[in-house]
Amino acid sequence: MSRYRYLLKKSVWALLTILFVLVLNFFLFRILPGDPARALVRDPRMKAEAQEMLRVRFGLDKPVINCFETLTPLKLGDCRVNPLDTQFFIYIKNLFQGELGVSYKTNRPVADILGERLWNTILLIGAGQILSIVVGIAFGVFAAWKARTAIDYGALITGLVAWSLPTFWLGIILLFWGSAQGFPIGGKATPGTSTYPLLFQIGDVARHMFLPTLTYIIVFMGEYMLVMRSSLLDVLAEDYILTAKAKGLSALQILKDHAMKNAMLPIVTLIAINLGFTVAGAVQIEAVFSWPGLGGAIFEAVESRDYPLLQGTFLLIAVSVIIANLLADLTYSYLDPRVQEE
Amino acid sequence: MAIQELELKPAVPASPLTGFWNVFRKNRMAVAGLAMLIVIVIAAVFADALAPYNPRSYAGIQASDIYQPPSAQHWFGTDDAGKDVFSSFIYGARNSLIVGFFAAFISIFIGGTFGVIAGFYGGRIENFLMRLTDTMLVIPDLPLIVIFVALTEPSLWNIILVIGLLGWTTTARIVRSQTLAVKSRKFVLRARAIGAGNWHIIVHHILPLVMPILVVNAILVISLAILSESTLAFLGLSDPLAISWGQMLNFAFGRGAMSVGAWWALVAPGFGIVWVVLALTLLGNGLEQVLNPRLEAHHLMPGKPTVQKEAGEAPSSQSPFARTPVVLDVQNLSVEYVNEGRPPARAVENVSFQLHEGEMMGLVGESGCGKTTLMMAVNRLLPSAGQIVGGKVLFNGVDLAAASDEQLADIRWSGISIIFQGAMNALNPVRTVGDQIAEAIRKHLPVESEAALEARVTELLELVGISAEHKDHYPHQYSGGMRQRAMIAMALSCSPQVVIADEPTTALDVMIQAQILELLDDLRRKLGLAVIFVTHDLGVVAEMCDTVLVMYGGVTAEYASVDTIYNSPRHPYTQELLKAFPDLSNPEKRLSSIPGYPPKLDALPAGCRFAPRCPLAFDRCKTELPRLHELGDGHIASCHLVENKYPRA
Amino acid sequence: MKFKTTLVALLTVLSLALSACGALGQAQPVTLRIGWAGSPDTLNPGAAVLTEAYTIFTLVYDTMYQLQLDGTFKLSLAESVNVSDDGLVYTYKIRDGVKFHDGQPLTAEDVVFSYLLYQNTEGYPWMGDYTYYFEKIEATPNNEVVITLSEPIPNIDAQLVFLYVLPKHIWENEDPVEFENFTAIGSGPFKMVEYKPNEFVHLAKNEDYFGGAPKVDEVIFQTFESQDALVQAIKTGQVDMITEMPNTAVETLKQDPNVEVVTGAPFAPSVTDIIFNQVLPENCPPDDGLCTGHPALLDRNVRLALSHATDKQKIIDVVLLGYGTPGITLIPDGLGIWFNSSLKDYEYDIAKANQILDDAGYKDVNGDGIRETPDGSRSLTFRINWPSDSIDSPRLAELLSEMWGQVGVKLEAQALDPDTLTSVCCPAFDFDIIIWGWGSDPDPNLLLSVMTTDEIPTGSSETGYSNPQYDELYRQQASELNLEKRRQLVWKMQEIVFNDVVYIIPYYSQNVQAYRKDRFTGFILDKPKVELSDVTSLIRVEPVR
Repeated sequence: MSRYRYLLKKSVWALLTILFVLVLNFFLFRILPGDPARALVRDPRMKAEAQEMLRVRFGLDKPVINCFETLTPLKLGDCRVNPLDTQFFIYIKNLFQGELGVSYKTNRPVADILGERLWNTILLIGAGQILSIVVGIAFGVFAAWKARTAIDYGALITGLVAWSLPTFWLGIILLFWGSAQGFPIGGKATPGTSTYPLLFQIGDVARHMFLPTLTYIIVFMGEYMLVMRSSLLDVLAEDYILTAKAKGLSALQILKDHAMKNAMLPIVTLIAINLGFTVAGAVQIEAVFSWPGLGGAIFEAVESRDYPLLQGTFLLIAVSVIIANLLADLTYSYLDPRVQEE
Repeated sequence: MAIQELELKPAVPASPLTGFWNVFRKNRMAVAGLAMLIVIVIAAVFADALAPYNPRSYAGIQASDIYQPPSAQHWFGTDDAGKDVFSSFIYGARNSLIVGFFAAFISIFIGGTFGVIAGFYGGRIENFLMRLTDTMLVIPDLPLIVIFVALTEPSLWNIILVIGLLGWTTTARIVRSQTLAVKSRKFVLRARAIGAGNWHIIVHHILPLVMPILVVNAILVISLAILSESTLAFLGLSDPLAISWGQMLNFAFGRGAMSVGAWWALVAPGFGIVWVVLALTLLGNGLEQVLNPRLEAHHLMPGKPTVQKEAGEAPSSQSPFARTPVVLDVQNLSVEYVNEGRPPARAVENVSFQLHEGEMMGLVGESGCGKTTLMMAVNRLLPSAGQIVGGKVLFNGVDLAAASDEQLADIRWSGISIIFQGAMNALNPVRTVGDQIAEAIRKHLPVESEAALEARVTELLELVGISAEHKDHYPHQYSGGMRQRAMIAMALSCSPQVVIADEPTTALDVMIQAQILELLDDLRRKLGLAVIFVTHDLGVVAEMCDTVLVMYGGVTAEYASVDTIYNSPRHPYTQELLKAFPDLSNPEKRLSSIPGYPPKLDALPAGCRFAPRCPLAFDRCKTELPRLHELGDGHIASCHLVENKYPRA
Repeated sequence: MKFKTTLVALLTVLSLALSACGALGQAQPVTLRIGWAGSPDTLNPGAAVLTEAYTIFTLVYDTMYQLQLDGTFKLSLAESVNVSDDGLVYTYKIRDGVKFHDGQPLTAEDVVFSYLLYQNTEGYPWMGDYTYYFEKIEATPNNEVVITLSEPIPNIDAQLVFLYVLPKHIWENEDPVEFENFTAIGSGPFKMVEYKPNEFVHLAKNEDYFGGAPKVDEVIFQTFESQDALVQAIKTGQVDMITEMPNTAVETLKQDPNVEVVTGAPFAPSVTDIIFNQVLPENCPPDDGLCTGHPALLDRNVRLALSHATDKQKIIDVVLLGYGTPGITLIPDGLGIWFNSSLKDYEYDIAKANQILDDAGYKDVNGDGIRETPDGSRSLTFRINWPSDSIDSPRLAELLSEMWGQVGVKLEAQALDPDTLTSVCCPAFDFDIIIWGWGSDPDPNLLLSVMTTDEIPTGSSETGYSNPQYDELYRQQASELNLEKRRQLVWKMQEIVFNDVVYIIPYYSQNVQAYRKDRFTGFILDKPKVELSDVTSLIRVEPVR
């Protein structure tokens, strides 16, 4: 019973956060300077009619919302307009129909672009996260177990240095190292191989993933390691570990059956919170290795000031992170039976 | 658990600041971080004097100067515009640090304010602020930064503002929880009681205690801000004319450094970022350890091997209880705590006792007298700093002090089990109680089937009065009394010969205490257990125990049968303890507590350890440690007065 | 540390395993892999903006004319053309037997359909301009296209060269703006195999191409986000050719025995310009104009002095590593005959610049090292802005600050987001100096129009320059059918704006490209313009035997 209430509470909260993001997303982009239709191309030959066409197409001819014609510059407007005929409600309505607007630069529906790229990012972030978590936790456990030994200090310093590395910088360094080793340095697969045997394609993608994933692991492993180490140190100082030792359990049994599960709890939270930062990492890694994912989309959108694409990407990522946080909360509630009582 | 109280706390410092410095400089991580930081701060502050070239001047630069490798003229080579990388590196330190410090200042200010307000006022304000924090925390900030930067012009101050405005969430969370913790402390409640205003309390009572954690957090926020700035510069969103390390990298990437193999143009600024972030992280982590000393010792650290430093006196040949065979024979046991940089501390010295089948021995003394250390030493469960430095622990003839890990693992629980203070934290919160009991059985006894194991667990729980339906519940679903019973059930699960009950009823209410004790006594008689009962409740000892060992300052004060102890105590400490204990036969008697505290184990008095508090002490007591005097029938007392004819009190 | 070695070993094993998968032992088609840093914005020719899109269109589609690397036009889809005496009616005979990639025949109907589509679709950013003078477009039964103009124009070839002929049977069923056209059925020498936006464009040769089938089987354009990665990719052989690279890479790549580096004027002219706000109060656009420019910039003497104070060679050295030529006017040397090669640039001479300012009354009255205007009201402190997505501009701004500082002019430099820059630039004229640039047509008309009075309110004129004589010459050249006479007019116009110092053009940059000479041969390298990915080269190239 209490668990359901907990889940319900968390889900409602996630939903509210998503709504907040939706509203924020809309207004942030209306405050931006410059008429999007003008910024589209810097070409004098674009006729006034064509510009007007674009404004209508992007719904920019309507008032932003009741009482406000535009926000930048601030222009008040009629408050009695039909709310359904304002940019805000058109935006909400479009969202519910899965429409995220049309990319200024490529003229394609943003939803299509994101749809193509989402899976690439999930592939890269997924592999990177899983591996960095596994490596980070393994090192962290070992460091905590062997606390105050050379192994511990070595692991600690390695973790701190890894944490201090700027992602894009490491990416570039690895790009040059990797290209000398014969690894592909751009894209997700060798172009023109989509008709080759499946096994070849899998190997090909794996080869292309190697460098970005390696960058990802090094950058994120450090933090997981540090958190796991400190969390496990806390747990190992707990009384129930002494109980377990008094019961005659071996060190490995204690680690496995008593310490790990408890020490993992902060990691679960960290993984969820980290997803937000992961995006920043992914942008840099995808930009360096020309990986066709959402991070790359942000990078390109920034470069060409393609606001609809940026807006859509932001929305998709924010919602994914919120949902991931919700999932982490749920996982937490299964891992830690005490949560239900709160 | 009481054993942690024995870990040595740092001595009280002369002044807070010198004291802080003394602890700080022992932390190698923090010192290294500080040194690294100072180097870079000096470079930043004195950039004008240190930089060999003006990083903005193009005077004399030709196409052939571009991307030249390090040389005598240019230590770090030249960049994409033919300028000296070393000079830009030094000036870059300045801007990177400016961004880091100012952005962190904004974040800390916002986060600190929100955290203190939320923690202090609670209620709706807290709810709102924390919801806001949680929301901001999940929103990926890079796209937001991009949008904000597009809104404004790309200048260093805008970057600072944006990073600062988006980086406060973790600070708010940390400060809130610290404020919550501080808020309920006594002096805050007292200040509130005498009518101090909220603002006064926040400024004078809360902030000083939140500040240390805020400083640690600030240092980490600074390093994050520096990393953020470099990322923004890499994405081309920072001010290209403000020389920062991120900007240097931006130019190097954007203008083909790698293509020409000019690694120096990339390595130098990258190295700068790693250097300063690492410095801050080391300093932050080190400071945290200094300000919030966490015991980095844990229960899985390998213990120190037993050494025999000195032979103690020959133990008594007699025992106050000799009706049954001996199961546990502790001879001249001494234990030291060895902490780096400090002299070893004697926690237990030359203690001997014998435990027989079915005997219940009371182990009494104030907190910090070595009771728990003695018990942990018996089972070799001392923390890694603890070491047996003399004596033997014979269990059925096996010397546990010298036993191998494998031998110990077998004897633990199946031979000697411990009832920890279950009301505290001795049960693993994420595993069911039944599971934790079953685990012990599985480890030590042959298990025929899962069903049999389940049945045995149920039987054990029922033995201590817990119905089977609670078997699959978690510890937090139990009441304090139930947890203690469960602990007993667990201690009995492998049919041990000796059970050590370590203050099993502290923190429980009187009714439950009585029930638990009755249960324990009952089980002992039913199962013929030998029990060591650690307590400071002399009433319970009188009622239940056969023998009593009184400890003070790590040594045996007195050891005798329960009758002897209560009727003719010979040691002044025992006598004082009994005065502090209500006598049912003489309710008129005034209760008196012993003034003062037991000695610190690393600052033991030269003579008798009780001398400073002893009402009967004389000169000899201050210089000479009394021997253990045998007084017949296994009665032992360590007091100089026993040598003379000591008058009965 | 033990762990570290384990990790390294693991990675090595993994990498070996992965590279083993790379080899595939079967006969493969001859594929030319081209690396570039961009990607087409869209495959809809009407909606496209970026050069990369036009590169692909030129390979996949046919047009009436083809632009040659020497800057001249050649009939392509048309066998012949017949012009009426008044210069108003053009009759093109379309080649017979041309087929689209899906096997359908290409006829005059398709051409007319395409032209009308371009002319009538409002959502197309600039196709309407190429068809602006077309009054009537008709097909005849003889597979001829008849274009009737509203007035005679000198450059119909330059108008038609970007009007790609689309298959009517496909496009008539699609929304002309929304259609993404991923399959891109055309009639050009290459056909579309697969397109992944921002990843790659995969083309295969069209065996039936009327101009002869290409010699390579496939061409793949692959997108790399960074230019450094491009250089790395050609070094390691992941690509056979790159269309751009950092200038720093030139020397390194030249030493690579397998790589040929080519430099020259770009196919599509691009100019970097230093814009002076010189809009007069009476020309300030009434609706959008703020016109906050520094009054001293209205004075030719100031602009002239700044010209003399600009060391273009040093700028080229530092910003371009020497791979560029000093600029004169907005018409770049890459425009061939249209470029006025007789103009001699203002020499770099600080003393002369100081002299000009002294003579004109700009003196440093208050001794702060910065000159004041003759009436003493303002110091010569100018705002200078540039788009924040340019990596070279900040270097240029730093150089200008230092150079112009020597003549007592101070610059307040600030990068601006491109949108913000657009909104302060024009027609708001809310700036003093901007560093920006143009990319444009092979015909000079567009770049010339930028400096006319008519374009001040439209936002095309960046400087607000207004000169009736220039405006008149612009009108004349726009309808002068005689090539030589038009060339003279265009040269005269360049002379006028050069004398008036409307802009300072720091440099015309060069295209820097490279290909693997150990693998492919046959690129056109002897023309004034360099563009390895141009269709004329890609048809000819063949693998080295």
